Amino acid sequence: MKKIVVEGLSYKYPLAKKLSLNNLSFTIEQGEFIGIIGANLSGKTTLCQALVGLVPHFYHGSFKGKVIVAGMNTMEHNIAGLAEKVGLVFQNPFNQISGAKLTVYEEIAFSLENLGIPQDEMIRRIEEVLELLDIHHLRAHNPFQLSGGQMQRLAIASIMAIQPEIIVLDEPTSQLDPQGTEEVFKTVQQLSSQGVTIIMVEHKIEKLAAYAQKIALLHEGELIDFAPPEQLFARTDLHKLGVRPPIFTQVVKGIGLDNNESKVPVTLKDTYEWVVKKFGHSGS
Amino acid sequence: MDTLVVKNLSFAYQPGIEVLKEINLSFTNCPTAIIGQNGAGKTTFVKLLKGLLQPIQGDILVKGKNTKEYSVASLTKHIGLIFQNPNDQIFKSNVLDEVMFGPLNLKIDLEEARENALEALKQVQMEDKIKDNPYDLSLAERKLISIASVLAMKPDIIIFDEPTIAQDYRGMEIIKKIIYELKSQNKLIITITHDMDFVADNFSRVIIFQKGRVILDGFTKDAFSQKDILRNSFLEQPHITQLGRKLLIPETILTIEDFIRNFKSFTIPS
Amino acid sequence: MKSISLYVDIQSPIHSIDPITKLIYTLVFILVPYILPHYEIAISCLILTLIILLTAKVIRQVIPIVSLSLLLISTIFIIQGLFYPGNSITAFKVIGIAFYHEGLRYALGISLKFINLLCCSAIIILTTRPSDLIEALVRLGLSPKLGYVMSSVLQIIPQMTGTTQKILDAQRSRGLETEGNIFIRVKAYIPLLIPLVMNSLIETNERSMALEVRAFNSKHRRTFLFEKKTSKKMLVIRYLILVFLLGAILWRFIK
Repeated sequence: MKKIVVEGLSYKYPLAKKLSLNNLSFTIEQGEFIGIIGANLSGKTTLCQALVGLVPHFYHGSFKGKVIVAGMNTMEHNIAGLAEKVGLVFQNPFNQISGAKLTVYEEIAFSLENLGIPQDEMIRRIEEVLELLDIHHLRAHNPFQLSGGQMQRLAIASIMAIQPEIIVLDEPTSQLDPQGTEEVFKTVQQLSSQGVTIIMVEHKIEKLAAYAQKIALLHEGELIDFAPPEQLFARTDLHKLGVRPPIFTQVVKGIGLDNNESKVPVTLKDTYEWVVKKFGHSGS
Repeated sequence: MDTLVVKNLSFAYQPGIEVLKEINLSFTNCPTAIIGQNGAGKTTFVKLLKGLLQPIQGDILVKGKNTKEYSVASLTKHIGLIFQNPNDQIFKSNVLDEVMFGPLNLKIDLEEARENALEALKQVQMEDKIKDNPYDLSLAERKLISIASVLAMKPDIIIFDEPTIAQDYRGMEIIKKIIYELKSQNKLIITITHDMDFVADNFSRVIIFQKGRVILDGFTKDAFSQKDILRNSFLEQPHITQLGRKLLIPETILTIEDFIRNFKSFTIPS
Repeated sequence: MKSISLYVDIQSPIHSIDPITKLIYTLVFILVPYILPHYEIAISCLILTLIILLTAKVIRQVIPIVSLSLLLISTIFIIQGLFYPGNSITAFKVIGIAFYHEGLRYALGISLKFINLLCCSAIIILTTRPSDLIEALVRLGLSPKLGYVMSSVLQIIPQMTGTTQKILDAQRSRGLETEGNIFIRVKAYIPLLIPLVMNSLIETNERSMALEVRAFNSKHRRTFLFEKKTSKKMLVIRYLILVFLLGAILWRFIK
């Protein structure tokens, strides 16, 4: 079932000289875990904003094309209306804290109060996300007294509690240490396996390649490619497009991978299997 | 003489809650990465080095002189710190003035300050943006400007606080190039980071902080072979190291070149 | 400081009373001495309020506020004692200058009402969490947007001290002098103020987006995390207070 349909999306911020998004078209099925990569200013954040209605309702500017998320056309619904179906976790966790609540527990409830969720359901959902994001021990803390990593987990929890059908995450692990990053990816993958559609912008290529089913490559506002990681990272023009392949892929290219291959290893496991197959080398 | 010496350093923001406990370290000019879990005391440590905080116990010697005898401004000449958030310091309406702010504070004359600023901007590949308003640029570009602001003061010790957050491929390449150039100028480079691949690729020494103590101080190769210590600090081995391990290559692999070199001599032809 | 408030965090019977009841009390008991301007009324209201403050165990916090106002009160006494229009009977003389009876009585009236106002306000301010009061008002129908503005200001402004410290650290790291003569200190303002303002603007913009995406403008009827049923006891107390107010107004018109 098509959860997200984008047709001919072009957008320019007010006062901007260039288009931030230029004629994007793609579809995403329910439950897919999609990664978005690209150089800075390639349009990744703008695309995230377009999926939740911030573009065009918050930013105005010139909007062309169609964006349909969970059956709703973003032009025809306001942001609050879309918020029930599609959530966005921003890059900077500090600015996502409402500031109106004194504890982590109440902060997560903020979105649910806005949506009119009944009290017992609210409590159930808050407990669930506190557990999921491993922040249950922080429930009575003041949101502003958390570390950057803890704040980021709180931001993700606050959106997850809404139980949207689609969650968009814009560099959600930037402040997290390696294990924290791994936990976020695992949690998000779990949601994806439960039917939530996930869109994640990331610079951590190795992690994204291991978890995402398909990756969209943006360059100067255009969608250059949208394919499974094994295919996308086989491209030979990645550096020119401002991105790099996973380290594993770079390694196999250095030890004998044919440049014309249409599929390449992108994860530790893939690479190990490729090496064993090609060289008959036995590892662990 | 060691460039930077830390003797028995302890620090607490509030009495009784020690954030750093009896740290003993010395640095020459070996590029060093400080890693560890969030909250382990890394940022507090570099603030102490910079003189922004005073030790409760212990001493810090920068080029032989105790930091207690310097003012923050005079210490700036020797040791530079590039903060995580460029928005906490940018205030001029054009890039060049912004980068000249530091050198001018050091009482260098205008011409020399301008030269140093232009040189620093060239190093970060932002020389075509000198007339732009910093707030019209992207966050990643502002980060590069904050790096230039410190480089323009030409300190011998340069500390980066999480330089790679939110950087894309091009930004990473610029940062790697800057570190390479600083290394060739014999400067002491210290970085705080979560990016293990970045560490393996650029730094020869690793210090792991945990709960206010140094639990490991050694060559990068040795540090990254200690899987258990890394895991207890919520860290991981760099991706390339993990690959080398999995293929049972005995040496701890830190770079792609390392791997290729080791692999070629290790392959069993099929 | 986590948030701006003078709330005294202890347990007391007054602390347990809901914010709206306390608010009604405060408003009514500030008004009544104006509706019925007799000394006995003002003094009785003040005594009742002081008893409530004692029960709430917050008398200690009230004393500094009242002491400070004594300065203002003595000024009122002096000015009215000397210059009140209806002055005729001399009360006493100081270095030959006459203080009049009428003026002093008038000053007493004003002062009693003023101290009463301070003490009634203290009941709300010292025994009610600002967030509880704001939420109670929103439940009654105050615009959630206004409620949010009030709640967030209490926390976000103290947060700015944290940001200011970071900015101070960053600029001092670049050699900015912040200590010394007035000239140096004034020069340090711009490098500290501009990043603070820019940060606040960026933060506000992003926070507005985050609020939108968290359904702040949702058309759904809002629910609340904590159940707040107003007990019968409280309703009775509220009605009693309002009846008291009505009685006072009626008495005024009868007389």
